[in-house]
Parts: sequence; C-alpha cells; structure tokens
Amino acid sequence: MRAGSVVKPLGVFLAVILVVLAGTAVAGVALSDGSSAAADGEDIDGQSPSHIQPENVLADADPEDGEIQLDTDAEDKRILIDTQHGNQVPEDSIQPLVEALVQRGHSVDVGASGTSDGFGTTSSYNATLQEYDAVLIVAPTTSFGESQIAGLEAYTEGGGRVVVLGEPTQYSVSSGLGSASVSPLRFGANDLTRAFGMRMGSDLLFNVDDSETDNNYKAIYANPTGSGDLSEGVDTVTFDASGHVVVPDDSDAEPIVRAAEGTQRFSTRRSGEYVTAARNGNFVLVADSTFVRDSEVYDADNEQFVSNLLAFMVTGDKPDDVPQTGGDDSGFGGGDGGGFNSTTP
Amino acid sequence: MGTTTETARTTTVLYVIVVVVAVLISTVLAPVVWNATTSSSDDDPSVAVITLRGGTSDANVNAITDDLRDARTNDSVEAVVFRIDSSGGGVAPSEELYLAVNRTAQEMPVVAYVEGVAASGGYYGIVPADQIFVKSSSTVGSVGVIVQAPLSTVDQQERAAQSYIRSGPDKALTTRDKLRNRMETLQNAFLNTVMTHRGENITLDRQGVSRADTYLGPTAVRNGFADRIGDLDAAIEDAARRADSIDGDQYDVTYYEPPEITTGLLLAQDEIEGVDGDVVYVESSATDEFEDPVRFYYVWGVPTETVSDETEVTTDASG
Repeated sequence: MRAGSVVKPLGVFLAVILVVLAGTAVAGVALSDGSSAAADGEDIDGQSPSHIQPENVLADADPEDGEIQLDTDAEDKRILIDTQHGNQVPEDSIQPLVEALVQRGHSVDVGASGTSDGFGTTSSYNATLQEYDAVLIVAPTTSFGESQIAGLEAYTEGGGRVVVLGEPTQYSVSSGLGSASVSPLRFGANDLTRAFGMRMGSDLLFNVDDSETDNNYKAIYANPTGSGDLSEGVDTVTFDASGHVVVPDDSDAEPIVRAAEGTQRFSTRRSGEYVTAARNGNFVLVADSTFVRDSEVYDADNEQFVSNLLAFMVTGDKPDDVPQTGGDDSGFGGGDGGGFNSTTP
Repeated sequence: MGTTTETARTTTVLYVIVVVVAVLISTVLAPVVWNATTSSSDDDPSVAVITLRGGTSDANVNAITDDLRDARTNDSVEAVVFRIDSSGGGVAPSEELYLAVNRTAQEMPVVAYVEGVAASGGYYGIVPADQIFVKSSSTVGSVGVIVQAPLSTVDQQERAAQSYIRSGPDKALTTRDKLRNRMETLQNAFLNTVMTHRGENITLDRQGVSRADTYLGPTAVRNGFADRIGDLDAAIEDAARRADSIDGDQYDVTYYEPPEITTGLLLAQDEIEGVDGDVVYVESSATDEFEDPVRFYYVWGVPTETVSDETEVTTDASG
C-alpha cells in the first residue's frame, strides 16, 4: 500500500469523528443555553443582607460618664455599714460609695468600729447607733429583731438617716459530690421596712423594650416620680435585676423612682407601675443593691442618684443622745436572735 | 482495468469501514460531550430533600452547606426541602446555616419541614424558607442568645490575673456589661433576620419575638412562626408546586444523605471521652490549660451539669 492509501482514510476517519462530536457539542450548548445556572454565588442578592450590617445590629450601650459628687456642707459624719444581718454585700461592691464619703472627710465603718464582727464594745444596740449619723443596710437576709426595729425608728425620728438597699429573692447554688442544691436568699428586713410603711417585693423586674433597658432585659430603667432631694438631676436610673417596693395606699412613704413603662414581674409576667425606691422621712428603701457597683454606678444617671443618696446620708442632724439608751435597751444586745451583739456561729 | 476496478472497490469498502467505525466511536463519545456541554442528564427535574438532625455544630452545618451548594449547582434540582430537627448551637455555625439557606432560597424555592425541633439556631436556619411546615408536635422559636463565660473571664479577674500575666487589660478578660452588649448585638442580628423574613407573617411585634419563647406547631401556625401543618410529603409537594420548571407530578425526589448525627448540642468543639449508658463524657475544648473566654450560642437548651473538669451531657433520649 502506498502512503496515500493510509492517510486519506485516516483523514476521513478523523473528520467524521470531529464532525459528529462538534455537532453534539453545538447542539448541547444550544439546548442547554438559558437553563444553566450561573456559577454558584454569582448574581446572588442577600449574602451580605442589610439587616445584619453593623449599623443595624450594634447595640447602643449607655455611656459611662459623670462623677459621684458630694457637695454638701456636712462635715465629719460617721456612717455605719451594717454587717450583722447576713448582708450579701462583697466589700468591693460598695467601694464607690465608701470612697466618695471618705473623700469628703466623712468616716465609714463597715461593721461597728472596734471589732471585726459586731457593733463594738458598747453593750446596747442603741448606744451603737448613737455613734453614727447614718446607717447603710445592704441586702440583708436575716431579720431585724423587734428591739432593733424600735431602735431604728427612734433613730430616724431623732434625725438619723437609714438607707436600705434590698435585693429580690435570689437563689444560690451549692454543689456537692454528684448533686447540687438550690437555696433561696430572701430579703430579711421586711419587718423593719414595714415599720416605715413599705415592703420589699420578692419578685424580679424586667422589661423587654430595648429602649427602656440598659443592655439586657433585666437592666431596667426607672424614672423619678416627682421632684425631691433624692431625684434631683436624675432623669433615668438603671437597676440590674431589681426588685420592687410595695407602698401601701395608706402609707406615709413616697415613691422616689418608678420602673419604666412596660416593666413586668418575672413570676407573673404582669406589667405594672413598679416603685423601685421609696422614702419615708429619714428612711429610704431602694429595691436594688447593685446599682452602686463600679460597673453600674456610672450608667445612665446612677451617679447622680448615688450622689443624692450620699447627700441624704450625711445631711441628717442627729443629736448624740439619739436613740436614747435606757433600761429598755438592755435586751437589744442579743435577746431577739440576730441582735447586733450576738455572736454568729 | 480489472485491477483498477478492484482497487476502487477495495478503496470504497475501506472508506465505508472507516466511516462506520468513526460513527461508532463517535456514538460512544457523544454522550460524554453532551454531558459536558449540557451538564444535565436527567429527564425529570427533581426536588432535593436535605436533612439536618442534630445541633448546628460546625461539622453539621458544613455538611448542610455542601448539600445546599450541590443542590444549587445541579441543574436538575429545581427546589429544596430542608428537613430539620435542631435546637441550634454556636452562633457562628448557626449564622452560616442561615446564609447558606438564604442564598439557596434566592435561587429556587426552599420549603422547610420541621421534623422535631427548629429552635434558636435551628429556627435561624429556616427563616429564609418560602414556607415552613410543622407537625403539631414540632417546636419552633427561641429567638435569643445565650452567653457562656467561665468565672475567670468575668468575676474573678484579679485571681486569674495573678496566675497569668497578660499584655493588656482586655486580653481574654471582660466585664458583664461588655458581654451583655455583645449578646445584644447578636440578638439584634437574629431578631432583624427573623423580622426581615417573617415579620409580615408573625403576629407578635419585635419585642414579643425577643422574649425568645418556643411554640408548638399549632401555636406557631397561628402566630406566624410557621405556615402550615403537614408532613414531609406535603412539604415536597409544596416545593414542587413552587418550582417554575416542574410541571405537575413530573419530578423526582432526591434525598441527600444527612450528616452523621453528632451526639449533643454543645459538643461541637469538644472531644468525646467516653459513653456510659446515656451519658456522654466530653473533654473541654482548646488546650488543657485554656478554654474559650466566652462562647455565644443560639441554642434552645439548659446548661448541662459539670462533673469535675469533664462535662456531662445527657443524650436526648432519656436524659
């Protein structure tokens, strides 16, 4: 065979294959035109949706500014911080208060001076109170005895100032080997506050309206109910995990601030007008104790509210012999269980 | 002349043979070319059923996004049914799942079928669907965030700071306030997404949704968290009806293999140490000395109990 007789058939062979396959390819492209999807990710709207852009999701935090100011003429006042009633108060959590008071030349005793665990060497409760111009009671969990209540009533009537920062019922979890037990920590001073016409509610408050909370549904806003020394310069205060103060209709106590609209109670989910701080003369009850902490005290107008509370504490005018110590006081030291001088186990 | 005629005949026969062989070979090769140029081989269009059973863990979500990508790029798939039973998981994979489903829903009908639970991160994943089918026993909702931080991140800064020297005050330390702000940001992203996709269906306002409640099927259909009561077949039928290229019953159903079930919700980053009955022991993630300073979850669940430094997790069957 000559070379030509191989090349020609081979050429035809290849030409036929080429034509058939080219035809198939053209037909394939033509038929699939229009039905083929774009490469994945092309022409897709919504992979950077507007609803997750920074301007639409970043949370607004309250600026933490302002100062605690104590602009009073009062000098050399003595403030007692109660440590006798199972107070759930880590010492550093009230540091902003203590520092502001000390800065202005007042003295603060955490527990009575002279001892580490009690009201000191004085044998009577009233005698201890006599030494101080104001008493701060933070998150008490054990009750006040009748004589202590009577003493504090006489104390406030005589010009002493008492501030109670309460907490709603909380639960502490203690875990043992393989088990955990939950025990409630309840506000212990309702017998005391009742003497002043108010009561600490046990329930936690919350608000799901973002514009009425700081940065969480539990960090509620509250607003002044009227004008008064304690709400001066305050538009909004924020309380984290606050309780509320029940003020009976026939009470002399007056609300200072009230939780913002839409605030609800945790257990009943009922909305209402919940008072979060109230005053009766020289006695003040706030339904939260955490707003004085470093992390909260500069939120909203908390620093102004705290300043007002401090001014309230140091502007009392109590004679040294109030409350009077007499024969009746002899039992105050320990007869009521939880008395200030009784030793704790 | 005889020789010439014979040569011509031989040549003709040769060409016939050559052409026939060429045609035969072409016939074999043609389908390959056809496939390469059309990329569509099935006659009937199909509805893909993609299944997620388990938490929105990294592994699960990766598998699902792969399935979804496959469905999008496969020309025969004209609609997707996303069958889900998930209580969510970490925020990052949950968001990833949402974006993948959202992308798919931009291209073709996506119908969600809530087999058991589609809560929190699981619900995040199905909000872009054109239709959400539930059973009366299905649970949906829980539009909210949970943050988990070891105490050493938040409350025991000083003690922790003494054991480890840090280059800056915010190095793996934070405050409750900061955590809450971040949580709020993540909550906004979740809420915005739900309200964008289903705001017109849901009868609750944004605040109501932010309470993060869950709802059983019948309630969900009433309040707009879901659309209809139905089973998987109803969802498939609905998806087919929504696809323009599907004519009547002329479609196939393609079931994608579900990702292997991971045992629990919170195990995404954890190594399984051992299984004792229905209790799974896992070792905490990261290294022995360190763990994540903070973890955010789109999850519907309660904290699992801790046994020494191991986390005890009960499986959902009888835990």
